Amino acid sequence: MTAQGLSIAGAAPKAVFRVEGVKKDYRMGEVTVSALREVTLEVYEGEFLVILGPSGSGKSTLLNIIGGIDTASEGRVWFRDDELSAYGESQLTQYRRHHIGFVFQFYNLMPNLTAEENVEMATEISRNPLPAREALRLVDLTERGAHFPSQLSGGEQQRVAIARAVAKQPEILLCDEPTGALDFTTGKIVLDVLNEINRSLGTTVIVITHNASIGDMAHRVVRMMDGHVRDITVNAKRKTASELDW
Amino acid sequence: MRVLDKKLLRTLWWSRGQSLAVAAVVLCGTACYIAIASAHSNLELTRSTYYAHYRFADFEIMLERAPLTSVFRLESLPGVRQVRGRIVEDVNVDLEGADEPRIGRIVSMPNRQEHVINDICLLEGRYFSEGNPNEVILSKRFAEANRLVLGDRIEASIDNKKHSLRIVGIALSPEYVYMIRSVQELVPNSERFGILWVPQEFAETALDMKEACNNIVGSVEDPEQLDAILERAEDMLKPYGVFAKVKGEDQISNRFISDEIKGLEVMAKIIPALFQGIAALVLLVLLNRMVRKERTEIGLLKAYGYSSLAVAFHYVKYALALSIAGSLAGFAVGQWLANGMIRMYVEFYDFPLLRSRVYFDILARSMAIGIGFSLLGALFAALRAMRIRPAESMRPEAPRYAHRTLLERVPALWRRLSFTWKMIGRNMSRNAFRSSLNAFGVMISSGILIMGFFSLDAMDYMLEFQFEVAQREDVKVSFQIERGKDALYEAARFDHVRYAEPLLQYPFEVRSEWRKKDVVVIGVPRGARLQRLINAKQEPVDVGATGLTLSDRLARDLGVGVGDTLTLKPLMGRITKERTLVVSQIVEQYLGSSAYMDFDALSRLLDEPFAANAVLLRVERGMERDLSRHLKDVPGVAAVEIKADSLKGLQDTIEMSAQISNTMNIVFAAVIAFAVIYNITAVSLAERQRELASLRVLGFTTQEVGRILYHENFALCIVGLILGIPFGAGICRLLVNAYDNELYRLPFHLDTGTFVTATVLSFFFVVLANLAVRRQIRKLDMVEVLKERE
Ligand SMILES: Nc1ncnc2c1ncn2[C@@H]1O[C@H](COP(=O)(O)OP(=O)(O)OP(=O)(O)O)[C@@H](O)[C@H]1O
Ligand SMILES: [Mg+2]
Repeated sequence: MTAQGLSIAGAAPKAVFRVEGVKKDYRMGEVTVSALREVTLEVYEGEFLVILGPSGSGKSTLLNIIGGIDTASEGRVWFRDDELSAYGESQLTQYRRHHIGFVFQFYNLMPNLTAEENVEMATEISRNPLPAREALRLVDLTERGAHFPSQLSGGEQQRVAIARAVAKQPEILLCDEPTGALDFTTGKIVLDVLNEINRSLGTTVIVITHNASIGDMAHRVVRMMDGHVRDITVNAKRKTASELDW
Repeated sequence: MRVLDKKLLRTLWWSRGQSLAVAAVVLCGTACYIAIASAHSNLELTRSTYYAHYRFADFEIMLERAPLTSVFRLESLPGVRQVRGRIVEDVNVDLEGADEPRIGRIVSMPNRQEHVINDICLLEGRYFSEGNPNEVILSKRFAEANRLVLGDRIEASIDNKKHSLRIVGIALSPEYVYMIRSVQELVPNSERFGILWVPQEFAETALDMKEACNNIVGSVEDPEQLDAILERAEDMLKPYGVFAKVKGEDQISNRFISDEIKGLEVMAKIIPALFQGIAALVLLVLLNRMVRKERTEIGLLKAYGYSSLAVAFHYVKYALALSIAGSLAGFAVGQWLANGMIRMYVEFYDFPLLRSRVYFDILARSMAIGIGFSLLGALFAALRAMRIRPAESMRPEAPRYAHRTLLERVPALWRRLSFTWKMIGRNMSRNAFRSSLNAFGVMISSGILIMGFFSLDAMDYMLEFQFEVAQREDVKVSFQIERGKDALYEAARFDHVRYAEPLLQYPFEVRSEWRKKDVVVIGVPRGARLQRLINAKQEPVDVGATGLTLSDRLARDLGVGVGDTLTLKPLMGRITKERTLVVSQIVEQYLGSSAYMDFDALSRLLDEPFAANAVLLRVERGMERDLSRHLKDVPGVAAVEIKADSLKGLQDTIEMSAQISNTMNIVFAAVIAFAVIYNITAVSLAERQRELASLRVLGFTTQEVGRILYHENFALCIVGLILGIPFGAGICRLLVNAYDNELYRLPFHLDTGTFVTATVLSFFFVVLANLAVRRQIRKLDMVEVLKERE
């Protein structure tokens, strides 16, 4: 697989993740549901990767395994030179703590904490955090720091969630349908923020979406189907969020 | 099975930890109630049948010596039903191979068996046989403790003469259910004190009381008339030196049982209310959360046509299921505890029959109490469920705006808090009710602990006060009659005696206006070193050359203070002149209630320059026993008591019973604290699953996530303790007031150790609850939780 799409032209792309023959089965009594039926994939350092696919195709499952909140039934996952699939519970926690930022469709903010405190919470546990105000500035929410989540709109809450994920300065940002609950304009603002983070901080960003047009923003697009990777396309030319036709 | 019932069963199973914790509280409440109420019924019932069967006396008059003819005259007083004159005297009993002195109380019985007042209940052997006056019937425990059996002989020293008595029977008496010689002994010591029932004939000869008696017991037609009757009886018996009139209710043994029964009655009211109240509150929290969570489901059910009542009843059933399950298990545990309590009572009380029975009315009542409280707890949730309208329920609940807490008003402080503490602070203020309930649980639990430890503290303090601070002798020698100075010198000359001090005790009726009391006035030499008086400030004070020193209880009973005048009427026949004396000071006394005056002054009241009826001795270490062996046989000596022995027996018994009740208290406190904290935290965890799971996603460890819940519990535990310590002390205060009578009262004394232990235990209970919650945090499934819609 080549990495012509990556802006780091010339240099051989380095893989952050290598997913090798990963399977995920859910056993429910007699029935076994296969969420992933053998997925092999590489994710490159600094890339903006979009995963597309119909509902139930295994996108979230894959992302969760990569992010260390779920484990594979079979196969191996490598994070750089470490085998993630061999990690135990506490190693996975440390892994998430220092390397991964998660953004979900539902924002999962602490209702008890203000926007700024929500971000601080992440800075408290990381080695080299971005100051909370700085992170909020990245998502253009400096003014709303003292507000509680219930006082913010969906898009604003999602941006706080992103600020929280980014404040840890993770190397990888995993986003599961970050615009799923947002309208078109708000969605674009959020995507813009993600793109900006990828560009300015060099964070590897993986975005899951149902919206095929978002694929145009990515370096590469992975299409999934029935627990398989159906194909991977490389975008010769990337669009910015505002250029997307929703 | 109906669908809703299936849902109920599944809910019960899925939240089995919480269900169990609630049921456990109900169980404790039920079990305690059954145990206590059964013990109460048992004691009450057994006592009344026993008393009726063996004709427990309504009154007892102690006097110097009255001819039996006067007793017959007493019987003719209107309102008096039956009277018996008898001879009662404490004597030394010699047993082969025993070097400690034993005291036997001679109590005369008719030569031939009759249905008399204060009858005996023969357990073994037979009644006295005609023409054999040297027969004795022994009280059961004294025989058992000294391994005496029918046919054995014991030697009683009476008036310097040894009498050999053959044991023909073993018996019990309603008069000695709680067998102590005097209040000072506090708990029975069956090895060293027992009753010797002897034929009247023997007692009359041995004690030189031909056709006479020194103790009259009787019954009356109408208990209301008792005071008036006793008044007239005293007038009638005046020439014979009445020194005490005791009503049945004040009789020592009966008094202790009454106090126990009263205590049980109070506990039977408080304890179930406490537990069931806590269970109700926890149910309230659980069900409220359940209804809130299942809002949409409730709306759906109603949309499908389930009535509001049917839906509301679903939640009521949850509460009912737990309380019924808890009650049923409580029946079993309660019955088991009731057996245990009876066994404990059998240790202390001599009832011919004391068995634990199943009282169906108590079972029914406890079930009703349990169900009643659980319904109360379910009420709110049921009403809330009824009010939910299907259309509304589909919309998300209006967001609850987080508000700023008090702490945030101090930004400098707030900013310094870690986010864990910020979350805790906000969560506490958002769920004020739950937080208060959590602290309340700790408060009750620590209160129970403090109350439990208090009884031991108070007893220890009382013993130390009595036996180390106030009474500092090693050996007390009592004389049969008042003796002169020579007796003191003689006692002081014995080997190993280092110091001797005389003591004079004489009964008076002490009067202030219309209030009067029969009191033993104790003559203490000035500057006494062995019998000390201690004032309210815990300082030793001198008895003073003039005036009367009163114990605080006596001063209260007589309604007098320092400077007031009292009239003293001698009760024994020796002297008759009344005197007036001024109250010079008031001292502390926990056992009994006496008055004190200068030894010389009291001697002069008796028209003697020096009259002692006891001598207190300080003895070389370890020589008490030796000395007592020699003193026992000295003519004129009535009894020799070694203080260390009495104290040891007392401490052992108190320690044992305190340990049993403390174990129970700790279990109760643990169940309450655990159930409250665990349930509230589990509810909180369930409600905040999403928050906490997303923290895990962020890379927080289970420990870090848990800390948010644990620290909140510790913080609330501190609040609970801050409230619980005064609360516990308050309960102890109530106990002190409840157990304040002429016989004894409890000092209000709590050791620092008690507070420390209560605090440590409370934190330990919180740790236990936290550990239980930790398992749930571990199981928190990040993927599952985050998949759900907010
Ligand atoms: N806990 C589970 N138990 C059983 N099956 C599961 C579980 N979680 C996921 N699955 C199944 O695994 C498959 C993949 O699920 P996954 O959530 O990865 O899909 P997805 O591509 O993210 O879908 P969507 O676009 O709807 O989010 C689905 O068929 C789903 O039913
Ligand atoms: Mg998904």
